Amino acid sequence: MATASVSTPIKSHTGLFSSRTAGGRMPLTPSPSQRTTPVKISSSPFTPEKSDGVHRAASRSVYGGNLTAHLRASRANNHRDSPKSNIARVVSTPRKVLELGVSNFTLTGTGAHSKAASSSSSSSSSSSSSSTSASSPNGNTKKKTTAVKKKPAKTTIAYKGDRFIPNRSASTAYSDGSVKLGMREGRSSRSRTGSTDGSSVLASATDDAISALESLSIGDRRRDDSDNHDSHDDDDEASSYSRPSPRSAAYRETLANACGVNLNTRILQFKPAPPESSKPVDLRQQYNRPLKPAGAANSAQFRRRIATAPERVLDAPGLIDDYYLNLLDWSSGNQVAIGLERSVYVWSADEGSVNCLLETSPDTYVSSVKWSGDGAYVGVGLGTGEVQIWDVAEGVKVRSMFGHDSRVGVMGWNKHILSTGARSGLVFNHDVRIAEHKVAELVSHTSEVCGLEWRSDGAQLATGGNDNLVSIWDARSLAVPKFTKTNHKAAVKALAWCPWNLNLLATGGGSYDRHIHFWNASTGARVNSIDTGSQVTSLRWSTHYREIVSTSGFPDNSLSIWSYPTLVRNVEIPAHESRVLHSCLSPDGQMLATAAADESLKFWKVFEKKPGHSQALSSASSSIKASSGQQMTIR
Amino acid sequence: MASAGPEKDKSKTHKLSLKGSAKLVAEFFQYSIHTILFQRGVYPAEDFTAVKKYGLNMLVSSDDQVRAYIKKIMSQLDKWMLAGKVQKLVIVITDKDTGEHVERWQFDVQILSKPKSSKSSSKSRSAATASAKDQENESSSKSSDAAKTEAEIQAEIAALFRQITASVTFLPQLQGDCTFNVLVYADASSEVPVEWGDSDAKEIVGGERVQLRGFSTQSHRVETLVSYRLVE
Repeated sequence: MATASVSTPIKSHTGLFSSRTAGGRMPLTPSPSQRTTPVKISSSPFTPEKSDGVHRAASRSVYGGNLTAHLRASRANNHRDSPKSNIARVVSTPRKVLELGVSNFTLTGTGAHSKAASSSSSSSSSSSSSSTSASSPNGNTKKKTTAVKKKPAKTTIAYKGDRFIPNRSASTAYSDGSVKLGMREGRSSRSRTGSTDGSSVLASATDDAISALESLSIGDRRRDDSDNHDSHDDDDEASSYSRPSPRSAAYRETLANACGVNLNTRILQFKPAPPESSKPVDLRQQYNRPLKPAGAANSAQFRRRIATAPERVLDAPGLIDDYYLNLLDWSSGNQVAIGLERSVYVWSADEGSVNCLLETSPDTYVSSVKWSGDGAYVGVGLGTGEVQIWDVAEGVKVRSMFGHDSRVGVMGWNKHILSTGARSGLVFNHDVRIAEHKVAELVSHTSEVCGLEWRSDGAQLATGGNDNLVSIWDARSLAVPKFTKTNHKAAVKALAWCPWNLNLLATGGGSYDRHIHFWNASTGARVNSIDTGSQVTSLRWSTHYREIVSTSGFPDNSLSIWSYPTLVRNVEIPAHESRVLHSCLSPDGQMLATAAADESLKFWKVFEKKPGHSQALSSASSSIKASSGQQMTIR
Repeated sequence: MASAGPEKDKSKTHKLSLKGSAKLVAEFFQYSIHTILFQRGVYPAEDFTAVKKYGLNMLVSSDDQVRAYIKKIMSQLDKWMLAGKVQKLVIVITDKDTGEHVERWQFDVQILSKPKSSKSSSKSRSAATASAKDQENESSSKSSDAAKTEAEIQAEIAALFRQITASVTFLPQLQGDCTFNVLVYADASSEVPVEWGDSDAKEIVGGERVQLRGFSTQSHRVETLVSYRLVE
């Protein structure tokens, strides 16, 4: 057992082969793997006998002392003995071998396979021991055990061979037992010649070895035949193996120790892949979360509360129920003008007072009203096609402008330019400062123009008509529209330019269309759409929420507030008893006024500012002339 | 029923049997997995709900898949813990894109040799007579110096979780999508179900290591170590 300290893993393989054949040359060189084998070393040539006949070996081993003689005798005989007989014997013994091998296995750390290897190594060592005739009687017994071991090892060896040695070598490996097979073979032959046993023996051994080598592929049994040779081989092997091979258990152990790895521990991983994260996580978001949600309107979680009851309701007797007219407007001076049949009334939101600004001649009616940007003048379109401009403070008409031969249903101011759209489909631009007021004629629509909106910077004009067209005009070239969009399937009255994105235009269609389309006015591309489910009569962007409010006719007569760009309907307020015809925002952007066919005018605080809320958005909108900070009141 | 008395006594003195201790440690592992997944953003914060545990609000994933996954791990871990096979539990966070291990939480488990615990084993108690009760009481009172009350253990665990939570302040920002793996350093003799396989240690090459707090029960001592990739 002293040899146990020596470590050479390779031998184990050889041992398999040699052990059976050689009958234990143990003395040669103890390998670490052979540690178990040192006992075997004592074993003498009997080992081959063992291979020949396990039973014999066992009995002989018991006897011990006689073994060498027996072995030699047996060798000659044994060589040719068929492995089969050995195998049978082997079967009986393998358990012991395994036990011996176990320690080796643990050393190698390869597990069950390693056990086989170790057993093989032990067997090899035993064979080597056997080869040394000097082996003690005890050794014989050991040999037997080893031989037994060897045999099982052989069976197991096949595995080893697979592991350590490629193909052919595996078979040879059996004989030699290790990777070094080729070398061993050569050496073995040499060693055999050189071996003390004697040339004749050697020769026979070599023959046997050769046959064994040839037969190796055939099976383990032949190894037994070549026991003598094997023993020689083993010696050689042992000598050659004196250096530790990386496969040796001892080597591994030392390596493991050096690396601080515990061979008794397995690192186990739970193999199934963890479930995918539902979305990418940005920890910065998680840890730098603002105390208050920044964009209150952005997430449904923090959706703001919207008052669903009107702030105030006024009567609007005589309001004409006509989709194509525009009879309501709120000035930057906080005054509301409304056209009621033949009259225009101005209601001052600050004072709560109502004044009748004008009354038309009985043969016509008011078809549109529009405040100038500064809130000082109001433009009034009449059913005759006449356009009047009134100074509200003085209560006097400043001028009348003629040109249209049909009613003027819609108007829009851009500084000193008043654009008017008529039932004829024509749109005129009037410079109200000069006598020859008509400065441009915009020809695009073939049916009544009912929607008209200047962009806040005055660079573009959008018009919508009863011909289902939306035309977008460049203020610098009004000969032809920049874009003409045909997506709507009904008259387009509702038009609104986005206050925070000047290129964004929202348009809403009539009863057969019910859609709100969003356009990029630079490219003409449609960027979004909403199916509202009802006639869209007007659209207004909030100046400080990312929202847009639409008013609708049949069937709901409601206000809807939509988040943009998510297009989520934040709230729908059933506003009136009949269709909502007109709407306008207060100059501070918080209040919406709606006029409906039920002859009422209602005020809704739908865009109420939270105290301290950022006003950047409203300030960005240049269309709101009044300072956003100024609180507007209604009396 | 004689054992019931001692059991109660035991509970009064908050002694934990080896089995109880193993369960406690396994439960700790479960919460630490959830906590790390939350704190390190492996899964979105909305997937987690707060649960009262250890006197803290522990965040536990409410995602069915994640829960099932951790449950599977825990079912096996419980067995290994009871058998005393677990030497380390490691949670490795890996960058999905590069496959690089970016963070590694290691919990070292040490099974304390405890002569007292053997005394306190339920078997001996059940066999014990009334006189044994007294012994139990005596032993428990003796051990009370060394042994911690359950409240103390809970406090230690709570302190450890607070430290894990606080560690996000020095751990580097995890970039990109990450996933995680659970490793168990088990005795070589452990029975291994098919879902578990041998793995390398998934160590972080050239990583920084920070030793965190630990806690101990009567039978186990748990040490925590986090290692993470240094960001240039």
